[in-house]
Amino acid sequence: MLPEVDPSVVEPAGVIAPAEPGMPAGRRASTSPWATVWRAIRHSPSGLVGLAILAVLILIALLAPELAPYGVNTQVGTRLAPPSGAHLLGLDDGGYDIVSLLMQGLRVSLLVGFAAALVASGVGATVGVVAGYFGSATDATLMRITDYFLVIPTLPLMISVADIWGPSLFHVILVIGVLSWTMTALVVRAQARTIKERVYVKRQRSLGASHRWIVSRHVLPQLVPLIVANTVLNISYAIFLETALAFLGLGDPTRVSLGTMIEHAFLASAISQGAWWAIVPPGVLVAVIILACTLFGRAIEDAFNPRLRAAHLGARSFTRVRVPDGSR
Amino acid sequence: MNAPLLEVRDLNVWFSTAGGSRVHAVRGVNFAIDSAERAGLVGESGCGKTTTILALLGLLPPTAQYSGSVLLRGTDILADGEASVRSARWTEIAMVFQGAMNAFNPVRRIASQLVEVLQVRGGMQAAVHRARELLELVGIPRDRANRYPHEFSGGMRQRAAIALALACEPKVLLADEPTTALDVMVQAQIVELLRSLCEQQGLALLLVSHDLPLVAQVCADLNVMYAGEIIERGPVADLYHAPAHPYTRLLFAATPDIDDDSELVSIAGAPPLLSRPIIGCPFQPRCDRAFDRCETEAPRLKPVGGNRLAACHLNDSVPSDAPLAAGP
Amino acid sequence: MRRSDYLLKRTLQALVTCFVAVTFNFLLFRALPGSVVSNLSRVPNATPALKEALTREFGLDHSLWSQYGSYLVQLTHVNLGVSYQNSRPVIDNLIADLGNTIPMVTLGTLISIVLGIVTGAVAAWRRGTQLENWAVAPALAFYAMPAQWLGMMFIVLFSAYLPTGGMVDNFLINPTPVQHIEDLLRHMILPSLTLGLVLYGQYTLIVRSSMLETLSEDYILTAKAVGFSKPRILARYAFRNAMLPVVSVVALSLGFIVGGAILVETVFNWPGIGLAVYQAVLYRDYPMLQGAFLVLTLSVIFFNLVADLLYFRLDPRIR
Repeated sequence: MLPEVDPSVVEPAGVIAPAEPGMPAGRRASTSPWATVWRAIRHSPSGLVGLAILAVLILIALLAPELAPYGVNTQVGTRLAPPSGAHLLGLDDGGYDIVSLLMQGLRVSLLVGFAAALVASGVGATVGVVAGYFGSATDATLMRITDYFLVIPTLPLMISVADIWGPSLFHVILVIGVLSWTMTALVVRAQARTIKERVYVKRQRSLGASHRWIVSRHVLPQLVPLIVANTVLNISYAIFLETALAFLGLGDPTRVSLGTMIEHAFLASAISQGAWWAIVPPGVLVAVIILACTLFGRAIEDAFNPRLRAAHLGARSFTRVRVPDGSR
Repeated sequence: MNAPLLEVRDLNVWFSTAGGSRVHAVRGVNFAIDSAERAGLVGESGCGKTTTILALLGLLPPTAQYSGSVLLRGTDILADGEASVRSARWTEIAMVFQGAMNAFNPVRRIASQLVEVLQVRGGMQAAVHRARELLELVGIPRDRANRYPHEFSGGMRQRAAIALALACEPKVLLADEPTTALDVMVQAQIVELLRSLCEQQGLALLLVSHDLPLVAQVCADLNVMYAGEIIERGPVADLYHAPAHPYTRLLFAATPDIDDDSELVSIAGAPPLLSRPIIGCPFQPRCDRAFDRCETEAPRLKPVGGNRLAACHLNDSVPSDAPLAAGP
Repeated sequence: MRRSDYLLKRTLQALVTCFVAVTFNFLLFRALPGSVVSNLSRVPNATPALKEALTREFGLDHSLWSQYGSYLVQLTHVNLGVSYQNSRPVIDNLIADLGNTIPMVTLGTLISIVLGIVTGAVAAWRRGTQLENWAVAPALAFYAMPAQWLGMMFIVLFSAYLPTGGMVDNFLINPTPVQHIEDLLRHMILPSLTLGLVLYGQYTLIVRSSMLETLSEDYILTAKAVGFSKPRILARYAFRNAMLPVVSVVALSLGFIVGGAILVETVFNWPGIGLAVYQAVLYRDYPMLQGAFLVLTLSVIFFNLVADLLYFRLDPRIR
């Protein structure tokens, strides 16, 4: 409807279509899916910000044992001591230095987040591709199973697992992973279905290509940006879940995580004692991680599904320009 | 002499793209059309014909900038932007959108959408009555009209679109590829409907299409557009028998003729990028008659005898009342 | 597919899912090896008499299948067992708790929907301007905050002005209905606000995305071409069509909100189903846990069904 080539559109990150003999001239040759992802992020300021923040946080987490000014198991003062020169964010309810706890907690929280997200994405992407690509009965069965997983409430499951097998970090990661794969599965399946219907896939089938070859050479590479975006969003969801589980006493009691820091502050009535330094920093850090993941993940998603048409209605309108006479 | 019904003077349209560059989509277009005249606007995809007619109704997107004027009976309706053009919409100038489009709201019945447009200008009773009249006029039986758009066939939808366009008794009818995506038989019917209605009601018609034979059936005059400019204008028959621009000649030659056994001609190459200034003749890279002057100097639209104008240096070497003879 | 066919099919699916949920509930709490209900020695404060009563009630000395059978029978009698904490029937506790949760969660949901629609619409309308960023950024920021943390922050900030715990003031003797309502509201505002703020971000994004999608549809251009004014097009065409996916998302998330209230109720000590779950975890009150699990799961299934049917009803294209 708008001019045939609407130049006001965000340039799609890459027409991801493998070059083939017989394809019309002028189509871009295939680019590696990772290059596509990188290009997508480069064009988005918010995505870059998200990535930068994540990079910094990961760095801190990796170097935590070196960077932390004090050990997390060394009591260095009285409970809930306010911030001072030696302890920039004061001490928690056990007398431990909060800055060190933050770094250590960041490490554990990020570990849980990444690991659980990997589990969720791994399972979800597999289910999604299989369901979307093979369709019919396989699809129907897998979708029913997905429905059932969708309705399991997180907490009771975690409680049961914690009670039966103990509340370790590994179990936390497992439970979160098992409960979050459904979103990824649904999204990947939708995309896999679209790809399967594309002409060149059908052509490959008629040429006798095996399913395995088609999936690994044609379907999967196109799904990479989507899976990456989804994994990043899964990370933020996993970290959120970890704080919730920790808050309810279901986290790993032997490890410090950002979630357990908030839990301890709550249980020690830090609020009524006015010890804001025990409450504010861990929450802010969690919020920052989740925000960074959200920005980053959405930047990839947005670029992968470019809005092909501009809105016809909005507060702004087209404008008139004054052109110097005689120009063409 | 009275001002023509609709006159476009020196219309330029630029689009700002997300990448920051500016695309000069319409470059200094001039034409005029009077009551009961039927003119065609033809060219390949991306030449700017849709942008041009969108500009006539002030339907450019917010990313667009324009200069020039659109004069309705001598008054510039774009002078105050949205405010001044709104009063001319549909009551003076109306449009039949592309056949492939979803011009109708999918969640409301077609008849009621027609009534809504009429209701604004009169009471409910009158609106319903007039809606019935219009639908009959375009050949939609009354019992079919009260359905949802997705229940209509393409041809019926276009008839409804024509009924909608005529609702407020406009003086100028714009039609943008009204038969694209329709069956050949249906195309003929729609085009004939358009022609007879315009003749009956003395409407001015501007038909935009890439389908030359179709335009030739309906219109007396033809404007040929290339890379945002009008490069030739004149009566259809003259343009067919003795084109004064190589592009026009090639366009006609590229149209398959059932009686002709000669090979199909296609125009090699692609139109120039509109994001950069064009030096010399825009058609020069693809022209089979180009010479050195074409590379450096842009040709201007000049009279070439009869009622015709063409922008080609080849016409300068012959007397102005004899158009260039058709090439091989 | 005809309307009644679709209704039937979806409802049947939902019932099957309910059945699966019920079975899963049974397995998790009763039958897994090492399941604490079956391992009576781990029940806290278990007197021999209680153990015997539990054995009889849960039929723990019978086979798994007969346990399952009696479980199903108990369910049809809405017998969810007796809570360890206050020795009252679980179902009575749950009903009372739900009664407290629903007003608070409803207010929170309303807040989030209103905030989400307003910010989303503004962001779509003012696409590409600074205002869009100002609308979306706070939404994302609040969305990223853990609910329990935001609740604690509010307590810190507002402790001087608003009550920060409980549902009613226990020192208010014989309040008039108006006083009671006012007291209730004063206690409810912070927890509901917390809930609303952490939830609205997702609605902002969906509303914005849906509105932009709708505003780029061809028929919007037609409406503009026909000469309708912008407000008219927005109100009669754009808004209605854009809200379609939003309605279904809202309905879907309702099922999870009740569960999500756990964090907020715990922080604010609001005596609803969320706090009940928290305490059941703390005291290992398995009948309560199992009952609450069932209620939460069934509510999710129910709202999923509602969302599906609503969408089906509203969009004539699917019919």
